[in-house]
Amino acid sequence: MTTTVVQPPAPPTAPVAHPLAPRNLVAAAVSAYIPLVLAVALVALPLLWMLLSSFKTPSELITTDVRLFPSSLAPDNYVAAAEKVPFLRLFLNSTIVTVVGAAIKVALAICTAYALVFVRFPAKNLIFAGILATLMVPPQVSLLPNYLLVSGLGGADTYWGIILPGLGTGFGTFLLRQHFMTLPMSILEAAEIDGAGHWRRLVNIVVPISAPSIATVALVSIVFEWNDYLWPLVIVSNPEMMTLPVGLTLLVNSESGADAYGLLMAGSVAVIVPVLIVFTALQRYIIAGLTQGAVKD
Amino acid sequence: MSWEDGLAATTRRRFGQRERHDFLVFLALAAPNILLIVAFTYRPVLNNIYFSTLDWTLGAATAVQVGFGNYVEFFTSSDFTQVATVTAVFTAATVGGSMVLGLLVALALHRRMPGSGFARAAVFSPYVLSGVGVGLVWLFIFDPVIGVLAGLLRMIGLPSPQWFNDPSLALAMVIIVYIWKNVGYAAVIYLAGLQAIPQDLREAIALDGAGPWRTFRSLVLPLLSPTTFFLLITSVLSSLQAFDIIRIMTPLGTGTTTLIYEAYLQAFGGYNRAGYSATVSTVLFALLVVLTLVQVLVLERRVHYR
Amino acid sequence: MTTQYVDRRGFLRIAGAAGITAALAACGGPTTTAPGAGPAAPEQLDYTGVKPAPEITFWSNNPGGSQAVTQQIIDAFHASQKDIKVSLVSAGKDYEEIAQKFQTAQTGGALPDLVVLSDVWWFRYKMLGSIIPLDALISAVGIETADYRQQLLADYQYGDAQWALPWARSTPLFYYNKAHWAAAGLPDRAPATWAEFAEWAPKLQAANAGLQHPFQLPALAGYAGWTFQNVLWGHGGGWSKDFDVTCDSPESVSAIRFLQDAVYTGKWAGVASKDSADDLSAGAVSATVSSTGSLVGILKAAKFDVGAGFLPGGPAATSPVCPTGGAGVGIPKAISKERQLAAATFLKFLTSPENTVTFAGATGYMPVRTSADTAGLIAKSPLSKIAIDQLAVTRVQDRARVFFPGADQEMAKTCAKILTQQADVATELAALKTTLTGIFDREVKPRI
Repeated sequence: MTTTVVQPPAPPTAPVAHPLAPRNLVAAAVSAYIPLVLAVALVALPLLWMLLSSFKTPSELITTDVRLFPSSLAPDNYVAAAEKVPFLRLFLNSTIVTVVGAAIKVALAICTAYALVFVRFPAKNLIFAGILATLMVPPQVSLLPNYLLVSGLGGADTYWGIILPGLGTGFGTFLLRQHFMTLPMSILEAAEIDGAGHWRRLVNIVVPISAPSIATVALVSIVFEWNDYLWPLVIVSNPEMMTLPVGLTLLVNSESGADAYGLLMAGSVAVIVPVLIVFTALQRYIIAGLTQGAVKD
Repeated sequence: MSWEDGLAATTRRRFGQRERHDFLVFLALAAPNILLIVAFTYRPVLNNIYFSTLDWTLGAATAVQVGFGNYVEFFTSSDFTQVATVTAVFTAATVGGSMVLGLLVALALHRRMPGSGFARAAVFSPYVLSGVGVGLVWLFIFDPVIGVLAGLLRMIGLPSPQWFNDPSLALAMVIIVYIWKNVGYAAVIYLAGLQAIPQDLREAIALDGAGPWRTFRSLVLPLLSPTTFFLLITSVLSSLQAFDIIRIMTPLGTGTTTLIYEAYLQAFGGYNRAGYSATVSTVLFALLVVLTLVQVLVLERRVHYR
Repeated sequence: MTTQYVDRRGFLRIAGAAGITAALAACGGPTTTAPGAGPAAPEQLDYTGVKPAPEITFWSNNPGGSQAVTQQIIDAFHASQKDIKVSLVSAGKDYEEIAQKFQTAQTGGALPDLVVLSDVWWFRYKMLGSIIPLDALISAVGIETADYRQQLLADYQYGDAQWALPWARSTPLFYYNKAHWAAAGLPDRAPATWAEFAEWAPKLQAANAGLQHPFQLPALAGYAGWTFQNVLWGHGGGWSKDFDVTCDSPESVSAIRFLQDAVYTGKWAGVASKDSADDLSAGAVSATVSSTGSLVGILKAAKFDVGAGFLPGGPAATSPVCPTGGAGVGIPKAISKERQLAAATFLKFLTSPENTVTFAGATGYMPVRTSADTAGLIAKSPLSKIAIDQLAVTRVQDRARVFFPGADQEMAKTCAKILTQQADVATELAALKTTLTGIFDREVKPRI
């Protein structure tokens, strides 16, 4: 099995006729634009609704009289949400967990993939299969056993307790291994003749020429760490240590009633918008990374 | 000789005298990751198999060995048929829905119109968003009294469906939201597959006088079959693991208790049956392994390769 | 987040890889005992000579949005003494999440020193030995139990011991839209019996265009097991009598059938999807039953005058037909006596007559002390008087709901079948009885 190299998406193959040729316009509008506009609208409208609702008052939200726009853009819900949960702290926690977790994950994935491809070792493919098989284990299955282990080690309510169990990476290792296997051998051989050891070959050659793939693994890891919900929910009790998705659910208390939706929408904006910004800036790499393995040559 | 064997041969030539050194280098580089995987993925799976043989109340210091008792209870309980049905419907609908819609979107995106890059990013974006955030937003939209969907229906004089009370509608609701979140993934993967089809092949068949539908049926679809196969595996595996949206939108699991949610509910949803929950988890894990095996062994033969 | 393609060759090796780790022994988790081993007898607790710990944590889900007021009370506690520092930890969004954390923490995590226990959770902790009886601590720190409202205190008594103290306590309340009432020409009060409301319903429907239902039953998840006790008791039935499940008795069946008829035959009741208090505030329904803890939220969101009254009764009984509910506070067993003592010291302050009024004012929960001065509270929010007055006619909840693990969920599921899918009442309640009896035999009987 081989897969395509991680690259920004391949340039498009030219269509048969220019898309804007008059005879194509109507057909194009019907067959491409209408479904596309519809699809984009279906994606965007709920998010827009979230944003608008986050500015509405309880009586504008709890009503059968649906209005599109809030009466004012005063950030009352954001202020109220920030009073209930330490938002800046949650943001900081999420950032720390995401950055540290993703950085270690990427480093581990690079090292493991390098070892799997370039270092001699018995039964490498078996080891690789074992790493790959982790993708079949749902996180819920490992929840309780991991809780017992991590909390027993004193990891409850700590950053390392949140980060540690997710560090072993099957996905990143897989992606980078597939990429490393496509690298030209000649460069590495030349470096070895020059006396470069494994470490120098890894750091000075393999990593630089694989930057786009590594960026992809990094971004996918960042998105994953940021959104992770179940594990932080269980291992963290202290709000000072919570990540955003966990803290977000604290905005709804039992019987808190009318306040809830406005706060929740404000909270959802806080957890969704940062990812949307990162995604918009770097979507080429994220999409390229996630489509790896799909297309074979 | 396969590519990998060729590589192995090269490495053998190059590193012949330094086996011991390489052995240590490999361990230094790969051991941390492998140890983490063993400690936090393999160990829990085995641990769960052990727990599944216990009658163990979460929070209790002691438990009673019951052998296969939990398995017998699970497979003979009245909930089993329901959990199996819900899991099958949820998986089939989300996988089928996102693949069909994803292919349609991919075909539209493939026409390289101005703005299709933006559309691709936009359609894909829900896939990277927090399941918790997405669940909360849709929870508000679907509310049958104060939700915007109910409001729109009221404008055309229709009552809102009881999305949360009717189990079938609740299942339909989480399926819709799950597809909304995941259709972009199928779309970009199909798009990559479409872009890998050489244009000259299409042109040749077009010269043959084939219309767009025939081109699609007899050329594009077969050539996409590896992509379809890949998507089928990944989508089934991730649908079976879907959790956040179900947890946020239907906390009690009314109509939406899939295997994974049943495992969660039994341990944490008020019953605290940690041993029984481990049984359900183990059944789910076994199902994932079997499905992957079946898909790889059986379906792969039918897939077209170039 | 994503799963990648596995080729056949790679996959066939996975089974082998799994075999390697099979050698690893399972570790962690419970110790196993022979079937039938009973729980150990509780040890006698003695706090003479124990010095309270300097720092404790209090796990709360902040019911009714009570975070700010709880912190305010903690600050007052810090101002009143310098020996004990309390940190409030919002450990979950609802009672279930707190319970999930607390029970998981029993397996080896960091325990709190005080924890919120809802009505359906404390008995489980008692059975599992996760919490201590408070009697020794009550005398050690001098808590005047006689001054607590006795019905609320009694909710946490079992086997001659007090397992928690009442804190965020609520009852269901009948809420109505005064504008709808006036339009229908109804007297400005809650109906005395459900039969009376059934007569009023058509008038409400006729007078208020666009009304979805005259009455909205509360969302079944979390509320059915609790608030339907009102209807069950009114009909002379109940979920259980002591530990005997009676949910299939003729009285109980006729009570639940009354609700089903209201939805399907009389068509005057709907079933809330998530929060019936929101549906009332939105003007979509004319009346509902919801917790007193929803009072503040309803007043904030509603654009009309809100009325409230006692829960209607009938036909067999009219009083007491109102269950108590909400949460108390307990102390874990597996922490040091120093921490338990410090926790009790704070618990005494938390539920003092002044603080219980402060807390009630901010949330809508009940003042739990009889000597509490509620005049200011009532002046500020007249409706809270009704809630407080109703306390006098409350009844301790049925054991099947509060003592059987998971029973509340099962009751909600059964009611959902009956009230949203029109399933046969007698059949479903008989099935519920089987399920509840099963839970009792498996989870409760061996531990009492």
